[in-house]
Amino acid sequence: MLNYFRVKRQPEKVVPDLGAISVSMLEGDAHLPFTIRQLNNLPEAVKRRVYRGLIPPNLLTRFGIDPIHWTGANKAPLVFLKAEANSEKVLITAQSSPDIKDEFFALELADNSLNGVELNLVVLNDPTTPRYSIDTTEDGQPTMFGTLKRNIEAEEQAMHAGLAPGQVRAGLGGSRVVFEQLDAFLSMLGHRAYFLEPLTYASAWVFERRGFAYVRGHKLMDDIQRGFQVGGSLHQSLDDGFVFRKPDQASTVRGRAWAIHDGILDTLDLRWDKIRMVKQIGRHAGVETFPQAVY
Amino acid sequence: MTSTHRITRAAHLESLDDFRKFLKEHCAPHAGITAEILYDLQLAVDEACTNIITHGYAGMDPGSIILDLEIDASKIGISITDFGHAFEPKSMPTPDVEASIEEREFGGFGLFFIQQTMDEMNYRTTEDGNTMLLTKHIINPTGD
Repeated sequence: MLNYFRVKRQPEKVVPDLGAISVSMLEGDAHLPFTIRQLNNLPEAVKRRVYRGLIPPNLLTRFGIDPIHWTGANKAPLVFLKAEANSEKVLITAQSSPDIKDEFFALELADNSLNGVELNLVVLNDPTTPRYSIDTTEDGQPTMFGTLKRNIEAEEQAMHAGLAPGQVRAGLGGSRVVFEQLDAFLSMLGHRAYFLEPLTYASAWVFERRGFAYVRGHKLMDDIQRGFQVGGSLHQSLDDGFVFRKPDQASTVRGRAWAIHDGILDTLDLRWDKIRMVKQIGRHAGVETFPQAVY
Repeated sequence: MTSTHRITRAAHLESLDDFRKFLKEHCAPHAGITAEILYDLQLAVDEACTNIITHGYAGMDPGSIILDLEIDASKIGISITDFGHAFEPKSMPTPDVEASIEEREFGGFGLFFIQQTMDEMNYRTTEDGNTMLLTKHIINPTGD
């Protein structure tokens, strides 16, 4: 290797700022991507028709929800869309009963500064399983899923129940179909990729399995894998000194995730932040930073 | 018949050896891919990936490099995708290879080597990453 090429540092916008979606725009170019903001400025009925494509229908029928009307028994609305005009975000949630605590699905998309798409939030909870209040402190303050503050007692219970950091309930087991649906939805809009920032090591591992690659943090994941090998610095830090630092945690995704959530990366002078992942529509990147992993 | 293969690794220098081995593993069984062609492929991929590692992901914890390999009877296609800063390969002047070592300007040889060893090179930047597409023609020993 002798030398390199020049670098271009000014990325171009994915979607030009074209304003409202019009019939002539639809007729003009079938490849032009649309932004969330453009969709949010559509009439309510059109918007609802479009965003219906964000939830896999079989996820709704599993809970007795009509996938067209978004209602359950007694015509109670159980799917909720927040997509205000001029907003660059859309949030869609579904719950198995009128009680918000029974929310089993939440997904938020947003335009980024280049008019690409960010997946800000995806939640898939099994509402029939016990709930752990890792999202609030004992006096009811939000913890931002344990990233801002922590409810150690609830986290310990959640860990022993087999949950990963950031989970309030056991997962619903539908991530494959949700991401296939998202691929289909975004290709319909004309996008080639979308991005996210994984909250935890466990969620990054799940996203790898769903075909994501890394914009930032692939090397960090390799360093973590290396550190948890026998003799590695992370492995050595699992010294049984605290509930989230048990030696056997090195061998599982969830065990590692709890140790990282508890700050074990300080050992390597690293932090779990600024990890950024990308999903190419219709492609599986084949990333596997924890080969033969046990979840 | 076309065979396709993929490897994805972090963009750091330790991954270069994985990419070389990957190329060797999948090219070696093909009678039309000589040792010289394999060397050219490995050199071109080395140069392209080193540029991504050193400049594409500069200033951030490195992301991924996806290497796709497609082999058919007459050619080898390689695509190298990353998600870092994009390049402007066409803006680089051809280095003066006739100049003496003392007079030679620093830089530009990576792209020069790729152009010398590959039959086609294209580069595109889209929403789903930066992709360098390389093509190397091979001689079909069976004449089919």
